[in-house]
Amino acid sequence: MDWHGTATIEGKREKWMKFAQARNRELGCFLQLDPEIGREASSGDGPLAGIPFGVKDNIAVRSFRLTCGSRMLQSFVSPYSATAIERLQKAGAIVAGKTNLDEFGMGSSTENSALLETRNPWDLRRVPGGSSGGSAAAVAAGIVPFALGSDTGGSVRQPASFCGVYGLKPTWGAVSRYGLVAYASSLEVIGVVAKTVDAADQAFTIMRGQDPMDHSSLPWPSRAPQGGRLRIGVPRECAEVPMHTDVKKTLTRTQDMLRDMGHTVEEVSFQTFDHVVSSYYVIATAEASANLARFDGVRYGHRTASADNPEEMTLLSRNEGFGDEVKLRILLGTYVLRSGFQDEYYLRAQKIRTAIRRDFEKAFSELDLVLMPVYPVPPFERGGSDSDSFSQKLADIFTCSANLAGLPAMSFPAGKENGLPIGMQFLAPAFAEELLIDACRQVESVFPSPDAPGYPKSWS
Amino acid sequence: MTARMARLSLTPQEMEKLGRAVEQMLQYFSHMREIDVDDLEPTTHALLQENRTRGDVERAADVSDTLVNNAPRREEHFIVIPNVL
Repeated sequence: MDWHGTATIEGKREKWMKFAQARNRELGCFLQLDPEIGREASSGDGPLAGIPFGVKDNIAVRSFRLTCGSRMLQSFVSPYSATAIERLQKAGAIVAGKTNLDEFGMGSSTENSALLETRNPWDLRRVPGGSSGGSAAAVAAGIVPFALGSDTGGSVRQPASFCGVYGLKPTWGAVSRYGLVAYASSLEVIGVVAKTVDAADQAFTIMRGQDPMDHSSLPWPSRAPQGGRLRIGVPRECAEVPMHTDVKKTLTRTQDMLRDMGHTVEEVSFQTFDHVVSSYYVIATAEASANLARFDGVRYGHRTASADNPEEMTLLSRNEGFGDEVKLRILLGTYVLRSGFQDEYYLRAQKIRTAIRRDFEKAFSELDLVLMPVYPVPPFERGGSDSDSFSQKLADIFTCSANLAGLPAMSFPAGKENGLPIGMQFLAPAFAEELLIDACRQVESVFPSPDAPGYPKSWS
Repeated sequence: MTARMARLSLTPQEMEKLGRAVEQMLQYFSHMREIDVDDLEPTTHALLQENRTRGDVERAADVSDTLVNNAPRREEHFIVIPNVL
């Protein structure tokens, strides 16, 4: 399906807008759906001319709100645009609107949004995954062909997988983070959720590269992608993780499919496997407690109505503005950074992070790619009956190692079981996105992203 | 104590609920003791390169009005907070 001109060409535009508004009412993907604002800032010309895209609402787009799914920023309007957005706008793409998310990117179901409920297009009772759940649901529903998300511990790959579309988490530093609201700076990166591998590839290629506005962004090294027969490793330790049978089945089938394509699939051992979730949550919460200290009710964000002095104003504003999961992570992060506890938690977690990096270096000395599931269970139902906040954290086991090691990873639809999509992911060495994309394209030629119920056929 | 350091004024109910959740995570973190980290250097950033400096030159940003307009309370171009003294 050709998306060029969908948001600009008369006739197409109205048809698309009507569909988008109706679908959004059902699914709750967008916190703000307003392509009129988006059109003003786009060049309208280039490789992405007139293509609408969604933006997770923790990425700044000038003149749109920037809520982070939080009461804290409910009415904040962004004064500027992220570099990634500006690059896409220069290529002709048009911001359709801002998508729902778990508050500040903290969660795996988008249920932690304080502002909106998002539903999975495959089954409205189920969550779209998270934290970039609005972006994934919008792409799977056919409202936009791609959408931006941020991936701190799996927040692009997991919702993409829950909604049956592709999710690319680039190498840390490959895409500028200027304009991304900070949660855990050493882990997070802006990524893409897309209906096709081509759309993910195109958006990523336009966004990547060093940016003077982000000190930690890295220059893109051009290197020829290797083709041919790939050596793919599957961590032996995966088998010890309690997994739903549908996920297990899909993992086995994916390995068979890759062998049929002529690739080698072998076992590889990750000694640190059992410790990635601990290391991840210590580091992520520590960084979150520091990054979210900026919300003090003074210059922007929610301010309490009842404070007699500045101290009280900050304490009450923060307590009223943040939701439970955000408070939990701030508390945990403050605790692990307390003097006397730092060595036991934060320093130890950073040392384990070194061991995790070494595990990957060792693996990639002999392998081209690592294959893993994305999440141990299929999309679960809203309301926490099958998955509480603690078990959702443990379930980050397959996704958060790529963030700790700074490596690129891409999730792809690998099967459909009982009417629900199941995803797998490839991980690659730093800056080997082209290899990842190429491998996903090969899988796509055999098993493309399945269309969710109600997916549109065309706009003409 | 931790809540005060985190600048959060929690209600007694929140204190109990969040306290339990923090406790559960800390207990989970205690498994980190099983791994030997003695000869490992800590990683702060997986791929951070050397410090880069930029030229000390003026740039226009044109965002000051939108920034100030986002303040919860203001008088003209000033941000107002409760009395300090």
